[in-house]
Amino acid sequence: MTVVRVDPVRGLALCADADGERVTVDVALIGSVGVGARVLVHAGTALAALG
Amino acid sequence: MRFVEEFRDRELGRAAAAEILGLVEPGRHYKLMEVCGGHTHSIYKYGVDDLLPANVELVHGPGCPVCVIPMGRVDDGIALAHTDGVIFTCFGDMMRVPGSRGSLLEAKAQGADVRMVYSPLDALRIAKSNPAREVVFFAVGFETTAPSTALTLRRARAERVANFSVMCSHVTIVPPLRALLESPDLRLDGFIGPGHVSTIVGGRPFEFIPADYGKPVVIAGFEPLDILQAIAMILRQLNQGRCRVENQYTRVVPYEGNRRALEVMAEVFELRPHFEWRGLGFISHSGLRLSEAYAEFDAERRFSVPGVRVADPKACQCGEVLKGVIKPWECKVFGTACTPERPIGTCMVSSEGACAAYYNYGRFARQRAAV
Repeated sequence: MTVVRVDPVRGLALCADADGERVTVDVALIGSVGVGARVLVHAGTALAALG
Repeated sequence: MRFVEEFRDRELGRAAAAEILGLVEPGRHYKLMEVCGGHTHSIYKYGVDDLLPANVELVHGPGCPVCVIPMGRVDDGIALAHTDGVIFTCFGDMMRVPGSRGSLLEAKAQGADVRMVYSPLDALRIAKSNPAREVVFFAVGFETTAPSTALTLRRARAERVANFSVMCSHVTIVPPLRALLESPDLRLDGFIGPGHVSTIVGGRPFEFIPADYGKPVVIAGFEPLDILQAIAMILRQLNQGRCRVENQYTRVVPYEGNRRALEVMAEVFELRPHFEWRGLGFISHSGLRLSEAYAEFDAERRFSVPGVRVADPKACQCGEVLKGVIKPWECKVFGTACTPERPIGTCMVSSEGACAAYYNYGRFARQRAAV
């Protein structure tokens, strides 16, 4: 998924999939992430940043 | 889309298949297990096994966390779902898994408030939106999913969401692998290691496989080129007499695992002394429950659950499929009494189940020649 918006205070990010569907994702496992980053998401949690 | 399409390139796939063909020793039979249900799904969806010579046999492993949930555990969930005031939440796959008297989906049709969620965060959101109701999340999954539950419980505590609890049925991948390696039913040459579990635990937990059992392991991604490359890496090890854990999925998997994930899991969970796996029986130290520090969120302490062990239907051969002893089409009821629309066993229900994968994609496989 692609990061659309980040909420660093709550450790969440709004991410979009290939079809544009947006979900809230917990990014606590991957540290800081920026808008536009590609992340591997499973069950609402980012497991890894890609590239 | 980057990180996806380049790993589905047809020409590169043909080149990888040719490389595998060059590595196969004529007349030798290779039996490789893909542990993860996601790999099984990809193998059939993209026709990976069609590209392999017949003497490279892929055996499906127990890495489908929905498939290994025993019927009694489903019954426990249904009992909770029927409890007054409870909103029972679970992943979509779990809703159709048969218990002894129906599924969660059927319980929903009977009036229980069962809701499908994409993540435990969604379940927590439901709890915050319904403060007068008790919201239970049926937590299922291997180490890939357990951190998500753990992080959500941390949030529940921090935000003081008292009406949220978890029915923890998370399992760990190493004990069933050890059980399979000890089994006389199976003689494997190597393993395609679970890609996303490894993003959490890394490669070190699998080092016992080459060390104690002399079998190579290659951790693989889920695109068809990932799987083909991993197979080539295993064959190369076998041909060279080497035996170690290798990481094909380096773009995602750090060999040391994810420290943050391992820390939050250690904080929130503890190992159960034993846990029942559908078709595999009880396996020691293979299931997780909430630690004492998070006992207030444990649905099994907050509510009364039957906790009754239920035998699988006689016709169901999911256990043999999960152990790799038989292929889906070798099950007596595959495609006849057991279909995705009317499943008898879990392997036909879950998107990561071998039977569902074969039913949806593998029935159109071509004949393969041996080298």
